[in-house]
Amino acid sequence: MIGDFLSAVFDIFGSSTMYGSAVRLGALLAFAGLGELVAEKAGTINISVEGSILAGAFAGTVGYHITDSTVIGLAAGVGGGLLVGLIQANMSHRLTADQFVVGLTANVLVLGLAGFLNAAIDPMARRANIIEIPLLSDIPLVGPALFGQTWPTYLLYPLVPLTWWLLYKTRWGLETRAVGENPQAADVSGIDVNKRRRQAVYYGGMLAGLGGAFLVVGQVGTFDAGMVGGRGFIAIAAVYFGGWTLGGVVLGSLVFGMADAFRLATPVLGYQLNAQFLAALPYVLTLLVMYFITKQFRQPSGLAQPFIRGLR
Amino acid sequence: MTDLKVPTPEIPVVVTSPSRWHSMGETALLYVLSFSAALLLSALLVAVTGNSATQVFQALLDGAFLAPGRWGNTFVIAAPMLLVALGMVIGVKAGVFNIGQEGQLLMGAMAMAWVGTKWGGPGPLLVVLGLALGFAAGGAYAAVASFMKIRRGVPEVISTLLLVFIAFQIVGFAVTTDWMLRDVDPNRPTRAVTSAALPDDARLPFLDIFGNEFHIGFVLALVLAVVIAYLLARTVWGFHLRLLGNNANVAQKVGVSANRTGTMALFLSGAFAGLAGAVMLTGGSSTYRLTTGFASNIGWQGLLVALLARSRPLLCIPMAILFAALRTGSGFLASTGVDRKIVDVVQALLVLALLIPPAVQFIRDRRRALATATEAA
Amino acid sequence: MRPAADSREDVAILQLSGMTKRYGSVVACDDVDLTLRRGEIHGILGENGAGKSTLMRMAIGLAIPDNGTIAIDGEPCTIHDPTQAVGYGIGMVHQHYSLVDALSVWENVALGEQGGLDRDSTRRRVREVCTKYGLEVDPDAVVRDLTAGLRQRVEIIKCLKHEPRIIILDEPTSVLTPSESQYLFEVLAEGVKREGWAVALVSHKLDEVLQATDRITIMRDGKVVEQVMTADADAASLARAMVGRPVSLRTAAASIGVVDTEVIAATHTAAIAPEVPPILEVSDLVARAPDGAVVLDGLSLEVRPGEVVGVAGVEGNGQTALARSLASLIKLDSGAIRVAGQVVPSGVAGAMHRAGIAVIPADRHHSGCVPEMSVAENLVLSSIEQFAARGILSFDEMRRRALELIGEFDIHTPGPDVPLATLSGGNQQRVVLARALSVGPKVLVAHQPTRGLDVGAIEYIGERLRAAAEDDGIGVLLVSTDLGEILALADRIVVMYRGRIIGEMTLDDLDVERLGLLIGGSTEGETAA
Repeated sequence: MIGDFLSAVFDIFGSSTMYGSAVRLGALLAFAGLGELVAEKAGTINISVEGSILAGAFAGTVGYHITDSTVIGLAAGVGGGLLVGLIQANMSHRLTADQFVVGLTANVLVLGLAGFLNAAIDPMARRANIIEIPLLSDIPLVGPALFGQTWPTYLLYPLVPLTWWLLYKTRWGLETRAVGENPQAADVSGIDVNKRRRQAVYYGGMLAGLGGAFLVVGQVGTFDAGMVGGRGFIAIAAVYFGGWTLGGVVLGSLVFGMADAFRLATPVLGYQLNAQFLAALPYVLTLLVMYFITKQFRQPSGLAQPFIRGLR
Repeated sequence: MTDLKVPTPEIPVVVTSPSRWHSMGETALLYVLSFSAALLLSALLVAVTGNSATQVFQALLDGAFLAPGRWGNTFVIAAPMLLVALGMVIGVKAGVFNIGQEGQLLMGAMAMAWVGTKWGGPGPLLVVLGLALGFAAGGAYAAVASFMKIRRGVPEVISTLLLVFIAFQIVGFAVTTDWMLRDVDPNRPTRAVTSAALPDDARLPFLDIFGNEFHIGFVLALVLAVVIAYLLARTVWGFHLRLLGNNANVAQKVGVSANRTGTMALFLSGAFAGLAGAVMLTGGSSTYRLTTGFASNIGWQGLLVALLARSRPLLCIPMAILFAALRTGSGFLASTGVDRKIVDVVQALLVLALLIPPAVQFIRDRRRALATATEAA
Repeated sequence: MRPAADSREDVAILQLSGMTKRYGSVVACDDVDLTLRRGEIHGILGENGAGKSTLMRMAIGLAIPDNGTIAIDGEPCTIHDPTQAVGYGIGMVHQHYSLVDALSVWENVALGEQGGLDRDSTRRRVREVCTKYGLEVDPDAVVRDLTAGLRQRVEIIKCLKHEPRIIILDEPTSVLTPSESQYLFEVLAEGVKREGWAVALVSHKLDEVLQATDRITIMRDGKVVEQVMTADADAASLARAMVGRPVSLRTAAASIGVVDTEVIAATHTAAIAPEVPPILEVSDLVARAPDGAVVLDGLSLEVRPGEVVGVAGVEGNGQTALARSLASLIKLDSGAIRVAGQVVPSGVAGAMHRAGIAVIPADRHHSGCVPEMSVAENLVLSSIEQFAARGILSFDEMRRRALELIGEFDIHTPGPDVPLATLSGGNQQRVVLARALSVGPKVLVAHQPTRGLDVGAIEYIGERLRAAAEDDGIGVLLVSTDLGEILALADRIVVMYRGRIIGEMTLDDLDVERLGLLIGGSTEGETAA
């Protein structure tokens, strides 16, 4: 088994299809992870990211069916994710309910809704076209992986610098980082702490929703209530993996995407590896990575700390 | 909202409420309102999908309580939910947030299946051993998260969650592997991916009260709820847990170690989930066989029960029965043509509804305090 | 004292009249008049809770007055938030840091401004302010890496960047070494002379108000009790006005900065003989913060039974780490803590407590008390086993013991069963003190035990600490940034700087000037201790 596993590793990592599917599978994590990063920078561990993805996928499917347009589908996905973000943000940063409790409950709510309404919609959605970007897609190995994807995947590429710009180059980003690090100081400086935190959660919800819609119209092509299956939590893990840095989150998404791609590639290449082991691999890897990496980075000091003025 | 802008003075603010009874009445009203809103929203959802909300309500009520013998079914479902919730309460009191009960429950069920189908011996002994081992297995699985927290500071909220998805695969592996738990009975038509059924004598005895049948696991859960309530409120052990949950630094200073006591709390919260899994299996879930979908959200729902009960062990009892009733009631939904997932929605809405009154009250108290602070005579 | 200001510039800029502010039944400010003049440093003196902070908060819009008018340059105006205050040219340097550790200096300066974020122009402005007032700070430095003094510079830069005409400083010297304080006053004096600033210096310390201001307003119980020119003032009468009665107790005197070394020497009881074996021995402690920074760097000290050892030093030199290591909250990298000769393992839950070390922490909400639990539970929580039989708690016995302690320590509470959070800060601190002393400790560590309390509570806690040493023979380690407090209470003084002890003196060879130098880290002329 170990020998098989190792030779599979070598074979698979030598094949270029592996990298293509790693990007494809990592894209969802990156969409959600970028949003989660912003939410965590502002001080929220946004557990409802899982629900936001599913809501985005559902809304994306519905949006696609009504208009027959992938663009509208993606936009509807953003809206779906935002809806969950609205619940999370206002319950935890307006009504001061515990953020984990709200997040978990929001996830149960969305899962129930998606299951309940699944029967009422047509789950089939056409997958968007693969567009190979000229020249760039000819680069060996990484070219096809990065630039030979369905077009919604490419939305991710401008989102990375956009999120970076937002966090580090704008006043909003500065204030967002400040409320996640030291809400009291931000408050004294005249910043509405909970408002910034809510906005950061909205951003997280929107990106997760976009990721969900991407999952339907850019990757799988059909909707299923169980299709997210805990990957929102892996997106959270990607933020930890990345040590709350933008590049780290993107890298983490790729690594976890690769683990998933590895699972899918093994049977294709004729390896008889244990299916359950492979299915558990991303989660095991995440735990191992968190075990070895969490202490290396400094998380935002105000992470998961509610802010109520006058209470410390 | 502008009055909230006024910074809190250094002087302690005296919250003046008109009267105790008046404010209790307000609180009750808030709860009634938000609960009604949650139910109304659910009814609306049913109506929107072209079904009758009253029919659904009637079906739920019939399925949970009114039809003959349904109380028994509700109690059977409530037992594991209550056990999971009790474990959650222990964790929350100690400031530990375990949300991986779904996985820990599976580990407990697996231990029970192993004992029941692999070990020989008198049935009752197997049941007791299985329950004990299930308890230990759930706890041990949660302890993995504790280990990661102590050694490397990995937050248990995330690690316990990820462990759930690994648990699914472990059970999947067990029930598809011959030397593990797979049913190797050649007489079964399809080599289904389940464990063998527990032997007839290794099953929990059922009680029959006015035609409502339920196993003694429910009685066990009730007893444990009372015991936990007592231990938390009246013993040094409970005091230490509460101390740790409220201020880990003070606890560490006076000798309550966050590592030791926190691990114990996390172990127990997992162990109760494991016990719940063992009770489910030996109480007849999936016809006494372990399957991949065995946990069927009991772990998640038990967690919600504890949240809904605001970590009060005795309050967990009616909440668990309420959640179980929604579940057993959903069994009668087929006739109405409504998908049974609606009960998940109702449950989540109920939890959200329950979060609102205390929050609203908190904000109102603060605003009132600030108003007395600013208005002045 | 500063030379008298040029009368030509003696023009009122900010006039507060009839300012009244109530919080519930408490009148924080009662019909207060105050005039700040151009080119003048105005000291506002009063003990904690006298209403000086509230008055200043009203002036910059952080609190809305119930009554009274604000006039700037003779024009009446209303100020509802700090941004408006900035518009009128009023700036405030806050008592507690308003800085975000993880951000750089320029980012902190930009925080709270409006409009786009421009890194280069912000850095340029920081540099401009720096050079103009001689406040050297690297705009790209991360605030976490700065010393307390440098951080305050950033606060000042945050205030000065708006080019205010009126500057309010709230207890600015509490985090500074004597020489840093001196420098701050020079900067202020320069600005007053050159820019014609009107400065309000809020303080509870007589000596610095006397030294740095032109005019003094004294507040007590929300009222102005006296206004004098600094030139005409003397310490004794100011102290009487401030406290409202003659202050003879050295603890109270210390709390307002009146320390007469002769008085101390006279009231000082005989020092504990050096040959008495120490009850607490701390040797070569090394500890790191979670981010790897060394916070204790070879710290050694001894406390003998019955003596009060004062650990002086500016905030941020490892005092918190020392107190926490003695509360079992920190695992040491190396070094040993011994109680009565026995090594106590560090970082082991309850080990220090069991060895007989009781700690009153600087931040009582961090490791001093549990606000959510009842007063009774807080009073007995460190000896809870004594109130249980076979693991079952006896609430009657807990309550009985709590009532005893409530009486003995004069804790004002509606009863033993109310949550601790409902008590005032002073009474919460009494609960912490009562619990620490009630277990009969061998060593009592008090870290900033009186910060933020009123004179009555300061006196009380000071007396209890002295009594603990003199009457009960407890070894008391008093860690404080308040030199006055240390001079008033300690038998022996050690100075802590950058995680180690760099000097020591007894009251018999007390030299306040040398002490000040040591606190600033200067060991010139010191022989290796």
